[in-house]
Amino acid sequence: MAETPWSALPASLRRIRALARHTLAEGLHQRLTLVGVLAGAALLGGAVGLREFNFGSAELKFLEDLGLGSLGLSGTVLAALMTPLLLFREMESRVIYAVLTRPVRRWEYVAGKLAGIAGLLAVYLMALSLLFAGILMWRGLQLGVGPLLPRFFFYACAMLWMKSTLVAAMTMLVCSYAGSVLFASCAGLLLALIGQLRPWATGGGLNWLRAWPNLGVFDAERLLDPSITPTAAWGLGLSLYWAVYLLLFGVLASHGFKHREF
Amino acid sequence: MSPTDGSACAVELHGFAKSYRLGWLGGRIQAVQALTLRLEAGQVLGLLGPNGSGKSTTLKALAGLIAPTAGECRVFGHRAGSDAARPLVGYLAESPHFSPHLSGAAFLRYCGELSGLASTTLQERVTEVLAWGGLATVGARPIGTYSKGMVQRLGLAQAIIHDPTLILLDEPASGLDPEGRLALHRLIRELAGKGKTIVFSSHLLASAGAVCDRLAILGHGRLLLEGPAGELMGDAHPLIPTPSRLEQLYLERLHAYG
Repeated sequence: MAETPWSALPASLRRIRALARHTLAEGLHQRLTLVGVLAGAALLGGAVGLREFNFGSAELKFLEDLGLGSLGLSGTVLAALMTPLLLFREMESRVIYAVLTRPVRRWEYVAGKLAGIAGLLAVYLMALSLLFAGILMWRGLQLGVGPLLPRFFFYACAMLWMKSTLVAAMTMLVCSYAGSVLFASCAGLLLALIGQLRPWATGGGLNWLRAWPNLGVFDAERLLDPSITPTAAWGLGLSLYWAVYLLLFGVLASHGFKHREF
Repeated sequence: MSPTDGSACAVELHGFAKSYRLGWLGGRIQAVQALTLRLEAGQVLGLLGPNGSGKSTTLKALAGLIAPTAGECRVFGHRAGSDAARPLVGYLAESPHFSPHLSGAAFLRYCGELSGLASTTLQERVTEVLAWGGLATVGARPIGTYSKGMVQRLGLAQAIIHDPTLILLDEPASGLDPEGRLALHRLIRELAGKGKTIVFSSHLLASAGAVCDRLAILGHGRLLLEGPAGELMGDAHPLIPTPSRLEQLYLERLHAYG
């Protein structure tokens, strides 16, 4: 067999790649993923149905706003539900024993799982974004304004993906200590909600919450504001913000898993 | 990674104890107490005992999945679960449920990759262990279509994909029909013939005893009895697993009807 470029990778990265690929395949075979796609599509379809109630805004602007919000919400929910589901299913089926009795370090396990879930979220958001783009183009043509995509559509998709992966990392941290899918999913959703409401956490003894990541900065609807023009520096800053918190949650989850017994 | 110098035992448990916490606020339950056991390389040890006697806990500790509450577990001189010990160990959990959509070959490739097998040798090794486990013709089929016996043999195949020196099998014969159990026992003896050290748990005393060099009987987390299988079982100790009269009859009738 010919040597592939992958075989040059350090052993650790190869193990993480194997774990990520397996997790992605597992995720794609879950019924929850299909339910997520259908629910996301229904939300986008609902946005079309609700265009009559646009409170005076231009219809396409309303569609963009509601559509991006729907994508963000469904990505967040899927991340919070899928992360515990994949982890606990592996524990219940005892496949985790076949993994952790090999030379796989716990941090590699966490990194591989997170990478796989991030891949799953990318596939999910890509599929729904294509549907969303199709809806916008269809309505644009019907309204006679020509095929239309929101400005910075791809920036928006990247922001939604970053947000959902961050929620997955938060939930992974919960999973490293939790004992059930239900608890971990609920806690993951709660942490995501705290992140979303974080800008309002001022005064009243809530200032300590400001250390929590502000998920509002990943709201793609912000890009619809004509006064906001994403620059390379802005994108870099946002990516750095995301990477720091992702790494932080990943490290904390790895620490939790290191001491966890199966 | 090598099993270090020849002086080290394959398995060494010294005063091993493990207790589990019952919930966040609950007390503790003692699964294993002060277990001391040694096994030389190349031997087959059967851990026997009723449910809840501490067999699985002992195997998990040797596999590095759990840490001892007291005492120590060593594998070829290395602390169980350490980076040095893990490549030497192959583990089969009790009643595993591998991903039903994956094919047997794909699952073994995944396990091989995690064990650090080079991509150049991985496919060759997968084909080899599939053939060894009698799964060559079904390797491309999804695991969801496998019988219980096939899943168990696949489990055994994943445990040896990286050619470990110590193989830990938790209730490998559980749920198998007599034919499957005999096939599994033959595979275990075949591995022992290749010089592998094997520790497996079972609550089926007679059939487990038939494939072991040594037996250890656990009860309530304590070692009740330990010694060479030949001594403990007397004359009824064939090292090549053979079916009993009833099993022989069962297999004959079964095969007569195709």
